[in-house]
Amino acid sequence: MEPPSPEKTPSSHRKSRGLGFFLLASVASLSGSADFAWAFQSHPAPEGLYAHQLAHVYFAASMGILVYWLHRNRLTDQTGWRLIQISCVLFIAWNVVAFSGHWVEELISANMIRGHPGWTQRLDTGASPWAVVYFILKLDHLLCVPAILCLVLGLRSLYKKVLAEAERPHE
Amino acid sequence: MSDSYSMAPVWFVDVFGAATMVVLSFAAVWYARRLVKAQPTNAMWTYILWFSAALAVFAVSRSVGHIAKRFLLLLDMPDVWVALRPYSGAFNTLAFVVVAAITLFFQRVDKINAGILQDKRALEDAGQEVMRLNRNLESLVRQRTEELSRSEKKYRRVFEGSMDMIFILDGDARFVDINNAGLTSLGYAAKEELVGVLDFRSFFVHEPDYIGLMNELRTNGFVRDRECRLRSNQGSELFVLLSATARTDGQSGITGYEGIAKDLTARLLMEKQLQRADKLASLGQISTGIAHEINNPLGVMLGYTQLLLRENTEGTQVYEDLKIIEKHARNCKTVVDDLLKFARGTRTNKTSIEVNQCVQEVLSLVSHQFELDKITLETDLDPDLPTLVADGEKLKQVIMNLLMNARQAIQGSGSISVATKADPAEQCLRISIRDTGCGIPDELIDKIFDPFFTTKPVGEGTGLGLSVSYGIIQDHNGLIEAHSEVDSGSTFTVVLPVTMGTPPQSVSTSEGPGPST
Repeated sequence: MEPPSPEKTPSSHRKSRGLGFFLLASVASLSGSADFAWAFQSHPAPEGLYAHQLAHVYFAASMGILVYWLHRNRLTDQTGWRLIQISCVLFIAWNVVAFSGHWVEELISANMIRGHPGWTQRLDTGASPWAVVYFILKLDHLLCVPAILCLVLGLRSLYKKVLAEAERPHE
Repeated sequence: MSDSYSMAPVWFVDVFGAATMVVLSFAAVWYARRLVKAQPTNAMWTYILWFSAALAVFAVSRSVGHIAKRFLLLLDMPDVWVALRPYSGAFNTLAFVVVAAITLFFQRVDKINAGILQDKRALEDAGQEVMRLNRNLESLVRQRTEELSRSEKKYRRVFEGSMDMIFILDGDARFVDINNAGLTSLGYAAKEELVGVLDFRSFFVHEPDYIGLMNELRTNGFVRDRECRLRSNQGSELFVLLSATARTDGQSGITGYEGIAKDLTARLLMEKQLQRADKLASLGQISTGIAHEINNPLGVMLGYTQLLLRENTEGTQVYEDLKIIEKHARNCKTVVDDLLKFARGTRTNKTSIEVNQCVQEVLSLVSHQFELDKITLETDLDPDLPTLVADGEKLKQVIMNLLMNARQAIQGSGSISVATKADPAEQCLRISIRDTGCGIPDELIDKIFDPFFTTKPVGEGTGLGLSVSYGIIQDHNGLIEAHSEVDSGSTFTVVLPVTMGTPPQSVSTSEGPGPST
């Protein structure tokens, strides 16, 4: 019996055996009954909403982490970075509002909004207590526009600072 | 109507907010790009550009969806919106994820950027230091060169100005450098004749001295005040006190030597002269005492002998006997007179004399005899010789003694040179008598001025000639130098001081209790 080659360690032998078993099981399942086949799953309507909501959570969390890093790295001593930090906080708030808006939208009926689609439509607030909340949450641009405005102002401040440094004579 | 809200605020905030979002997000991208352009090496601005771009994608995706929805519904195109809606939502979701993903790279980018900035600052500092050094390099080099030159000059002055020999040797004891005093002592005119050409060993009179010196240097690393005899290029011997150190480096051992040699030849000569003078002075005192005691009885003996001679007839035995007594008594008196002359016990009559004339007179007396004896007489008399206040007769006696000694030193034919020379610098004149005779051995040269010392056979000389000459010259405040080499000949030099100004016409001196003869 030849000795095993250096690449074929005992653990790699185990992995090879596991892969072989997996392939065998796959072939067996494909050749068996379709009812029990291990195939792709279907993704009906709620999954899209959930994915979107999870993306909001991810977005908000990343902004929260950035707020923390900006603070910890003492970058917020500069006006530009402080404005960017405020922008992040506003984006977090916007994500909370948007997340809530999507959730509240599911609680109210489409019949509560009457009229031809456009600025003439009206919201029936008497039908559900969530209607007023829905109305307020629908104004989420009042958070995300200031958020991106703060980002622009922050970047402008940083840019001015860089220009000022470039114009300062070398010591 | 109180139970319903107009959706107009929502509609307008949605549409205009979405449009504003797009505009502002593009403004953010624009500033981010400006930042990147301003500082292309700053990784943080690149990150900010990505972050802004992702937010712009998010703003566009979201705003397009919102505005499209509002207007499609307004225009009674709900079917189109229903078709677009999933794509809009999916893009929105993707945009969120992209923004969040890019955001989470902040800390890593910040760390990388901090490292880059630190390196950049270090590079800038180094660059500025290099610039500063470049600017100051010339002045620094000039300053250091001047310092080095000053230091070199200082040590060079010490080296060259030293009255003692200072030398530097390489590992094989060959000369690397030597100062002017060393060159003069060793009899060389230029360093090139010595440096790199000769080794130190060749100058040692006694080889064992050199071997002992080098052994001690190798063992102890230094030698202090070692007495050595060196031989100069002209052959004269130097008595030196030598101190030296060995130069070493950690790996290859001794790489060279540095040393100082103090020339004590003149001091040694002076000490010898003083010793000789002391010895001769003591001998003079003894001789004077003896001469005084013998002289008077000799006078009585001679007087009575002469009385008896008058009373006896010539030709008788008694007369002949008395004549022998008289002859030997006179011989004894001559010896006593010579002893008194050596001891400077006789009267001297100093007048202004011409030394060259004295020399000529003595030479005229001996020249005929020398010619018969095949001795060549050479003269080199300085015509500018000053007049000398001295006892001319005694000076002639000295010259005669020295000439007779020179003659006796020559076996067979030879030559005798007589020279006179004025030395204004030393305020003296020199009378040199050089012969080509047998020379005087080293061990006898210190004894030649001793009374009764002679190398001649018994009966041919009393051994008082040089002693008397020495006494006479001492009486004139001068000295006699003797230099001799066996088989080459001897040179006796009489050095007499010259008094500047008008010499006295006649001066009589008498030192010591000179006997009346």
